[in-house]
Amino acid sequence: MSDASTPLTRRSMEPTVFRVLTLAFTIFIVAYILIPILVTLVMSFNDASQIRFPIKVWSVKWYSDFFGSPQWTEALVNSFIIALGTAVIATTSGILAAWAFERYDFPMKSALYVLIMMPLFMPGVVLGLGVAIAFGGVEIAGYNIYGSRGLVMIAHALWAMPLVFMLMEATFRTIDNRVVEAAQDLGAPPVRTFFEVVIPMVSTGVISSVLFAFVISLNEFVMALFLTDRDTQTLPVLMWLSLRSAGTPRLAVASVILACTGFLCLTLIMLWYIRQLRKVAR
Amino acid sequence: MSEATYIAARAKLARQKAAAPWLLMLPALIIVLIFFGLPTAYMARMSFNLHEGAKLYTPGFTFEHYANLLSNEVFTTAIWTTVQLSLMASVATVVIGYAFAMLVWLKPARWRLLFVGLALCPLLISEIAIIFGWWMFFPKNGLLSFALMSSGLITEKISLMYTEFAAFVGLVYVTLPFCFFILLSILDGLDKRMLEAGADLGASPLVTFREVLLPLTRSGLLVAFSQSFIWTMGTYATPSALGPDTLWTMGFLIQEQMLGRSNWPSASALSMVLVVGVAVVIIFTRSLSAKRATLHV
Repeated sequence: MSDASTPLTRRSMEPTVFRVLTLAFTIFIVAYILIPILVTLVMSFNDASQIRFPIKVWSVKWYSDFFGSPQWTEALVNSFIIALGTAVIATTSGILAAWAFERYDFPMKSALYVLIMMPLFMPGVVLGLGVAIAFGGVEIAGYNIYGSRGLVMIAHALWAMPLVFMLMEATFRTIDNRVVEAAQDLGAPPVRTFFEVVIPMVSTGVISSVLFAFVISLNEFVMALFLTDRDTQTLPVLMWLSLRSAGTPRLAVASVILACTGFLCLTLIMLWYIRQLRKVAR
Repeated sequence: MSEATYIAARAKLARQKAAAPWLLMLPALIIVLIFFGLPTAYMARMSFNLHEGAKLYTPGFTFEHYANLLSNEVFTTAIWTTVQLSLMASVATVVIGYAFAMLVWLKPARWRLLFVGLALCPLLISEIAIIFGWWMFFPKNGLLSFALMSSGLITEKISLMYTEFAAFVGLVYVTLPFCFFILLSILDGLDKRMLEAGADLGASPLVTFREVLLPLTRSGLLVAFSQSFIWTMGTYATPSALGPDTLWTMGFLIQEQMLGRSNWPSASALSMVLVVGVAVVIIFTRSLSAKRATLHV
């Protein structure tokens, strides 16, 4: 193709072509990612009840409509409760398992690693179906666990826990082992060492785990669709069901609320990270 | 302390040490085994049950549902459509993701945070919100039609809603960030001066890309491709909401059999095929990248 004898004109053309292509791709990727987000944001301030461009009258009517509707606010509350539960379950179990993998040697380590990571790669439809079939008619002390928030929390933890596990395994590897050994040499029992020495060292990882687990659960809707009933329905499930019948700007409002929560979580992670960096610098 | 009690104490300590990792892993193992392992076993058993009348299932043993997957045209078409759509979407995702990752890698560092933030957007947003966003962009009264009309490019309103293209755009959007971050992490491990070396030796950017960059990022590409393939195989909401009514993916069929027809055995058989498919892709990717690693070392 090209060698040292390439004419000079072609050589000087290349950077220009390259720059134009780069610019075109940059515009494309920015537009592609931002389009659905901006469309939703704009539509949530629409006054009309139909999804239609151009938007003629602007208002916050649909926001007050959303917060005035018991069905939608209940769904939002359900979503938050389930997401909190998932965050607690996934973070606790994920961190403990990651610590076991970091500190101890035990038989079948790599097989157990694959086992713990496996649910993360499974489609939500499959996980939802499996849990629904296995726990469909199960009652514990007269309490039907199918349709309960607890079951959805655990189902969501199937995705969130391996993620926390992966994240914390990588984080634990960065800590200085000598500090842990020093704590133990000074007579601190393992549990105390873990909570008072190790956890503060990996606080950014822990905060990220909690918030990622929260966001995953908040946004998930396929498993929730299989596992909730009318009373425990989450916001994304309600959105999906009403999108199937008719789309109104109320859906845009719901999207904006979910997205804002997600971005808030990301901001919190960033702020915490910056705070930790400053601490180290000081 | 006598020797006997000392030995006993030592043994107790050793036992505690051996038990500690299992205790630590207990919550995670409970979740995985009881809420993933047990349901999968249930599903495998369920897929051989009978389905008669309006009941969810009748205990029994039959290969009927698996045979159905191979003979019933609805299922064979769905499997074929799913594989086709996933392959196309994954190829597009990898191409766009690679270009995007290279852009971020080559740009000065001050742009980096901005682009990474941009790539995080689709990850932080619910799939349903993404679907709804495109749902407002493609139809006749949507933004696309409006924008093209006002710019004078078209004179009649157009609709791209409920087309395979719309489903494709939505699918790529959902999988793009995973691909991007995998590829960016691979590129970050490379030395940028390699490209300069290639240019100094007289290679055009295209040749440098093909001869230097591509071979070095091959394993990353493979992982990114299989990731998006697995994801698109299992997803059902995006294609069924944005695509045409005839676009029946496996995920959609599982949902349809489960919730619409209350045919649990058939839904389970479909799920088992999907589970096995995902496992095969993972094992295949692993073996390929492992082989490559040993070749290079």
